[in-house]
Amino acid sequence: MKDFLKNHGLWILFAGAVIAVALALLSYFSTNASPLVDLANTITSPFRAVCTSVSGWFTDKQNYYEDVTALKAENEALKKQIAEMEATVRQGEAASQENVFLRDLLDLRQQRRDLSDFETATVTERGVTNWTASLTLNKGTAHGVEIGDCVIDGNASLVGRISEVGYNWSTVLTVIDTDTSLGARVYRTKDIGIAGGDFALMGDGKLKLDSLPASCQLLEGDLVVTSGLGGYLPPDLVIGSVSELRADDSDTSNYAILTPAADLNGLTEVCIIKSFEIVS
Amino acid sequence: MLARSATIFKWTLYTLAGLVWAVVQAAFLQRVTIWGVIPFLYPLIAALPATFEGPAAGTVYALACGVFCDLLLPSPIPCFYTLILPLVGLAAGLLSQSLIPAGYLCSAAAALPAYLLTGIFHCIVLWAQGHPAWGAAMSVTLRELCASLLWSLPMTWLFRRVYLRVHVDD
Repeated sequence: MKDFLKNHGLWILFAGAVIAVALALLSYFSTNASPLVDLANTITSPFRAVCTSVSGWFTDKQNYYEDVTALKAENEALKKQIAEMEATVRQGEAASQENVFLRDLLDLRQQRRDLSDFETATVTERGVTNWTASLTLNKGTAHGVEIGDCVIDGNASLVGRISEVGYNWSTVLTVIDTDTSLGARVYRTKDIGIAGGDFALMGDGKLKLDSLPASCQLLEGDLVVTSGLGGYLPPDLVIGSVSELRADDSDTSNYAILTPAADLNGLTEVCIIKSFEIVS
Repeated sequence: MLARSATIFKWTLYTLAGLVWAVVQAAFLQRVTIWGVIPFLYPLIAALPATFEGPAAGTVYALACGVFCDLLLPSPIPCFYTLILPLVGLAAGLLSQSLIPAGYLCSAAAALPAYLLTGIFHCIVLWAQGHPAWGAAMSVTLRELCASLLWSLPMTWLFRRVYLRVHVDD
């Protein structure tokens, strides 16, 4: 080896210098990469592609996992948010409904100064048998409710009267129940009669107005209100309107069929009048 | 003759079975209207055990049912159900004892006097209160019977299970 370098060293050095100059010139004049760089990159290019593919696959998997995890978390958060929003909407609907009722009640308080003591109540049960038309409310003696108290809706339409009362519940016999009998007045003609439930009409959700004076000329649609006579009920609470006129069995007098003003099947909130001023 | 403990056990089971149907009535049937009436199970609750147990025991059980109903249901007079349901129990017990052996057919047959007696008593009370409505009341009675009759099948099954649980030899 030593002899070889002694004999040919200068030639090798010269050849190396020529190659270096040639490569330098090629690099200088060529628009592409230098041949050595080109060669090295050409050789490593497939390996690099494989490495990139593998790392890309891993990156994809990692991203996929991260995305799925994030989506799951986001989905859970959104579900929770939807549930909360639905609860808020439900609460809003209930509050809105209650608000309408309370607004009506406020108007009523302003219009009817004689109705001094109110208690709002929720209907918890309705119509437990086919023989009575009753409602169960969630207010009782603990709230000052007494038997005979008058129950109205938000528009001052009569619902019925308290027939039974317990500590935190009470039963209302509605105006269409057969046990209900009310002093009534036809608003237009001022005629006095008795409005009461009739079993034959109870199924249709209606009641009867009779004991009217012979001279009474009723018209369909006439409004019938409480007379307030006797002081058992406040006057001018709307009972209902005349929907039909009929002659009784003896054909000597007429009576009227009334449609109650209160929506007895749809009531959810009512108002119990605990005391009122008797207006003479 | 059953031992005292077996008798207590049997009537406890009958009471629980009756309560099951009372819960079905209050939680579900009260919100269902068929032919304009709600199915009303209480006369059946009073009558069906009487078909298995005979008129005497059935009448006492029906009396207890009547007290229970009067405590919970609005009625036109106080003690309405306490007065009429023992008659319902007696009629059902006599029916099974003398005409049709206790079972599904007997329960369906016992439903007829049960609802008729209750309906007629309602009519009498309405008439006595000055609101006679015989036609409307009998119409409600018949519709109530028809709407409730199908329920006699599962009710008979449950009460029969109670009966067989204690009277193993029958």
